[in-house]
Amino acid sequence: MSYLEDDLRKALRRTEPSEDFVDRVLARVNRPAPPEPTWWELLAAVLRPPRLQWVALSVIVSVMIPFAGVQYRQERQYRAKGERAKEQLLLAVRVAGSKLHQAQKRVLEVGRMDTRL
Amino acid sequence: MKTLWILTICVLVTVATYGQALDLKNLDKLAAKANNVTDVTLDGSLLKFAAKFLSSDNPDQAKVKKLVAELKGVYVRTYEFDQEGEYSESDLASIRGQLRTPGWSRIVGVHSRKDRDNAEIYLKTGGAEPGGLAIVCANPKELVVVNIVGKIDLDELSELGGSLGVPKLDFDKPKPTKPSSKKDD
Repeated sequence: MSYLEDDLRKALRRTEPSEDFVDRVLARVNRPAPPEPTWWELLAAVLRPPRLQWVALSVIVSVMIPFAGVQYRQERQYRAKGERAKEQLLLAVRVAGSKLHQAQKRVLEVGRMDTRL
Repeated sequence: MKTLWILTICVLVTVATYGQALDLKNLDKLAAKANNVTDVTLDGSLLKFAAKFLSSDNPDQAKVKKLVAELKGVYVRTYEFDQEGEYSESDLASIRGQLRTPGWSRIVGVHSRKDRDNAEIYLKTGGAEPGGLAIVCANPKELVVVNIVGKIDLDELSELGGSLGVPKLDFDKPKPTKPSSKKDD
């Protein structure tokens, strides 16, 4: 008989359970089910520090907030500058138009006076 | 040979000054004496930037947007004075000198002795279309200089009539006179 067969026989031989095995199985089966976790228990589980994802998230947020702030400020400055330029343009057109009109009116007045003479 | 040189220099000066804004720096000193000053300086890039903020939905602003599409600059100086004699003709000499250069032609010149009110309109022509406009209005208590650089469509400018407080202009087409309804007896 080889050692291998001997080892197999030892490994596969029937072993009797301990005397309290049945009691332990029955006790586990009859144990009441654990209660459903409440929402705050779930939240607490998610928020429980330290978690790698929270560290990563806080790093991202601490970079993103100042970046977004700078972007927002730049956008506001760009719009304000544009609105100022637009107002200046409209003012320029208004002045040019009114002065052209005045000149045209004068020319018409002179024309009428010449016609009367 | 000498004539050819003079002619060449004249052509070069005309080409170099075409599409350039008038030098209005000479007027800056009047700001200290004036009661009310308007200074608008919109060069090509700023003009395009300003045009971006004009709404296409607003009919008045859409007209201005179309008008300024091919402009290279808009410069306005207005000075209102409390008293007469705060500026002199010599302050305008530099601008008038620039407007006497080739390319500029005066299309309107009105001088009122009664109101001592002068209005001059100059058009810059370098081709078939106007390349700019200059307006010089002067009365004893007010001085206005407007310089528009670039291709300006006078029809579009006249289309601004009634909007933005700009009265309707009619350069080419004189108003038709109504036929008299009065019957001859």
